[in-house]
Amino acid sequence: MRDTVHQIINTVLANRGKKLIDSLNDSMRLRDDIGFDSLDLAELTVRIEAQFNVDIFEKGIISTVGEIFERLK
Amino acid sequence: MNILVTGISKGLGLEITRHLLESGNNIFGISRNQTEELSTLLNTHKNLNWLQYDLADSTNVKTKVFNEFIGNTPLHAFINNAAVAYDDLITNLNDEPLLSMYRVNVFTPMHIVKYCIRNMLLHNTKGSIIHISSISAHTGYKGLAMYASTKGALEAFSKNTAREWGEKGIRSNCLVVGFMETDMSSTLTPEQKNRIFQRTSLKKPVDPRSVAETVSFLTSEKSNSITGQNIFIDNGTI
Ligand SMILES: NC(=O)c1ccc[n+]([C@@H]2O[C@H](COP(=O)([O-])OP(=O)(O)OC[C@H]3O[C@@H](n4cnc5c(N)ncnc54)[C@H](OP(=O)(O)O)[C@@H]3O)[C@@H](O)[C@H]2O)c1
Repeated sequence: MRDTVHQIINTVLANRGKKLIDSLNDSMRLRDDIGFDSLDLAELTVRIEAQFNVDIFEKGIISTVGEIFERLK
Repeated sequence: MNILVTGISKGLGLEITRHLLESGNNIFGISRNQTEELSTLLNTHKNLNWLQYDLADSTNVKTKVFNEFIGNTPLHAFINNAAVAYDDLITNLNDEPLLSMYRVNVFTPMHIVKYCIRNMLLHNTKGSIIHISSISAHTGYKGLAMYASTKGALEAFSKNTAREWGEKGIRSNCLVVGFMETDMSSTLTPEQKNRIFQRTSLKKPVDPRSVAETVSFLTSEKSNSITGQNIFIDNGTI
């Protein structure tokens, strides 16, 4: 699951021509560390939902990588 | 292209569907009824898919329309055509018909746009969203205030969709259509129709084919610099 989420994050970054990330850890902030803006976060939700069938933003906004895995539990 | 069209059983929606099928598109069409004309189209076109769905229901858009009907198909365009007209004087305004009109004309289409954009993001498609608006939102006609307000809402929603998702190449436009001879306008008397024609430059009803051609243009790459616009197809209303 970690690898898939990592891949999805890089897909979203690549789609906006942003710098990809080499490694993923739970404390990373989606906006400040990874570089997502609101449009990227929308795309992230959609791609994660297509893969895992969970809308990670349905129960409110999240801000770190760790919280993604919390919602996917 | 794969195109979602609402209100394909008659009137303008049927004309748009015919036109888009002829140019080889795959159509995902929605309406409550399967009219004879729609049955004929379904029998003669393998690239037409039909879902019986009541747009008064906004809660099942995700499961019924997107998960079950469209599934994994990448959407290239959404034509928000279905609508109902609640025709009365403002002094007679009633909550129940007002709300049910808003559900069909505004709320459910907004939900459909939500899932269309999600579909387009997932498949990296630079999709085109087209709302069918009405000249009544711009000129005003006695009895159409409530109906016209639903179209005003769509025009504002479309403009903001264009702004919000333009960076992703997703476009949104409205076609502001003038009077057409369809079921929706069939209760008007010849005198009322004549008065409407007199308010146009061309002095006649709008030809649905002209609208269908514009829809076709706006779904295509040829229109890739046009977004956030209201395009008037109204015989030159004055
Ligand atoms: N006619 C005019 O003069 C005129 C002028 C300006 C703009 N417009 C706009 O043009 C568009 C098309 O109108 P039209 O003249 O073609 O009207 P129409 O002949 O009455 O057709 C309306 C279509 O919408 C569908 N529809 C209505 N309520 C629905 C619901 N609850 N769920 C699913 N589908 C529903 C109908 O299918 P079912 O009944 O089978 O469900 C039908 O296919 C509308 O947006 C209208 O506001 C019309």
